Amino acid sequence: MTVPVLSVRDLTVEFVTRRGTLRALDKISFDIARGEVLGVVGESGAGKSVTGSAIIGLIDPPGRIAGGEVVLSGERVDNRPPEAMRRIRGKRIGMIFQDPLTSLNPLYRVGEQLIETIRTHTSLNAAEARKRAIALLDEVGIPAPDRRIDGYPHEFSGGMRQRVVIALALCAEPEFIIADEPTTALDVSVQAQIIALIKRLCSERGTSVMLVTHDMGVIAETADRVAVMYAGRIAEIGPVRDVVKDPLHPYAKGLMGAIPSIEGDADRLVQIPGSMPRLSAIPRGCAFNPRCAQAFARCHVERPELTRVGDRQVACHLYDQPKAEIAA
Amino acid sequence: MSQLPPPDAAFVQVRDLKRVFDVSKPWLNRVLEHAPKQYLKAVDGVSFDIRKGETFALVGESGSGKSTVARMVVGLLPPSGGTVSIAGISMNDVAVAQERQRMRRRIQMIFQDPYASLNPRWRVGRIIAEPIRAFDIIEGEGDITARIGELLTLVGLHPDDAKKFPHEFSGGQRQRIAIARALASNAEFIVCDEPTSALDVSVQAQILNLMRDLQQKFGLTYLFISHNLAVVRHMATRIGVMYLGRLVEVSEGKQLFSAPRHPYTRMLLDAVPDLAMVGKAREGVKGEIPNPINPPSGCTFHPRCPLAFDRCKVENPAVIDGVACHAVNGDRAAAA
Repeated sequence: MTVPVLSVRDLTVEFVTRRGTLRALDKISFDIARGEVLGVVGESGAGKSVTGSAIIGLIDPPGRIAGGEVVLSGERVDNRPPEAMRRIRGKRIGMIFQDPLTSLNPLYRVGEQLIETIRTHTSLNAAEARKRAIALLDEVGIPAPDRRIDGYPHEFSGGMRQRVVIALALCAEPEFIIADEPTTALDVSVQAQIIALIKRLCSERGTSVMLVTHDMGVIAETADRVAVMYAGRIAEIGPVRDVVKDPLHPYAKGLMGAIPSIEGDADRLVQIPGSMPRLSAIPRGCAFNPRCAQAFARCHVERPELTRVGDRQVACHLYDQPKAEIAA
Repeated sequence: MSQLPPPDAAFVQVRDLKRVFDVSKPWLNRVLEHAPKQYLKAVDGVSFDIRKGETFALVGESGSGKSTVARMVVGLLPPSGGTVSIAGISMNDVAVAQERQRMRRRIQMIFQDPYASLNPRWRVGRIIAEPIRAFDIIEGEGDITARIGELLTLVGLHPDDAKKFPHEFSGGQRQRIAIARALASNAEFIVCDEPTSALDVSVQAQILNLMRDLQQKFGLTYLFISHNLAVVRHMATRIGVMYLGRLVEVSEGKQLFSAPRHPYTRMLLDAVPDLAMVGKAREGVKGEIPNPINPPSGCTFHPRCPLAFDRCKVENPAVIDGVACHAVNGDRAAAA
């Protein structure tokens, strides 16, 4: 296999607090191939956004990367000094955040922000950069880009602003984009447009995307593979079709059943009892065991590791054989 | 329960409801800049009925006026025009003020944000007891405490939780407290404004299931406001779709999804990301909701509508047989 665009190995993020060290990410590993969209889902506090921040080196103290490595196209990046990391961000890793209003500076024209980013990361001169900015705005579907480029962010609607943010992320032709809840602040009809746009841009440019969202519907339509996160770990990762249609991990099963569908005819939604544990009180053994209907003795003591099942990997004792049995 | 009206009778009647907000600049600016007054028609002639024991849902995108309708129905906002009557009692008529006051306890509301709708300085017991005390439903502290415990158990919490403060609970648990408070006055009609949109999916499922169980147990009537079509499909008996302050389609729950008629409803359904859509292509969605201060003439949906023709630009379509659209009703109108 070719070198993946992004390879994360045993990434661990900890927050040091007065009440002890909290582990927000616990040894997570995954790869993203060229042109692939990896969806990352989970409920609040599962560690989805921290994963994104850790990859781009934007974990603020008291948080820190406590272990593991992030490899971008074969090159390790997590141990770079801040200055070098700053050049990688924007140039090689693009970012799209949830709220387009906070990712744009309200005091600068949209064009100035695009041109600044283009000139920081490429050797184009001002006139060429402006031409390129207009081309980018056109590509993300902003009508009359040659006039709109001189508008301020407040003159754009929410959907149009998010298009500008996507154009900003594409400025330096990054090989990898992190989209953190890119459609959560938008209405459904606009959301559909933005999803279609991200999908089209990825297939045209071969850019890889890590799409972080809590909306399974968005993942089902956009992603090639999906990682379901729970309490700072990956519970299940695999092709989106398999995971959505036939999830293996009990948490993934519960999550899919809990989502009301406009096609399905379920009278009652599947209910997972309880809620996600706090980071300060992650249960011993499998973090999901207190909420799991299928938990058995081993789940209370031993933490399951990701095990390969067909095309995917699942961290659940139901699917791995105890070592003793294998030996026998 | 013998004096209840027959199940077909409308429990809540909303007729030609309107609400206009004044969004003009301050007086001095208007004088200096010769700017006219500006008005925003948040709700523009909405009529619907809710039958006893059903869930009527209003869906629409932001700015479509669904929350404004909800606030007018419960009386938090006076309408600029039109009427709301609940169980035959008008909510705006001064003549029936006395009966209306008695009516109030039968209506409750659940809000979107369970962090903002519970007083952080009150203990949960006091929060839930507030309607009981306000309406003098139960006398005596011992009985009130017993009732609070009963309500907490009903929504899946523990009677001891009454002694805690709201910050000690998660979002889903807080929404359970809000539901317990709504039930405290033996309400029959509950207006739910986006009750689960601040919650995670697994918690949302718990709350939706709880709301359905309570509906079956007590015969509650819900007005359910949401932007999430999948949630609405799961909950609603009948659904009204709103666009720019107008009701464009009213339909039986499942039918809206199997046979949507208004072009906006079709577009909205096409746009919903769904688990069943893995790997399927979908039709593109065009445009965005226009600015409600200057809505398009005629049918407000015409600039985005694939079926629009000349008449749509000048004439506002009336709701005929549950749909407000010239193209859909064209044949019927011609036949009449």
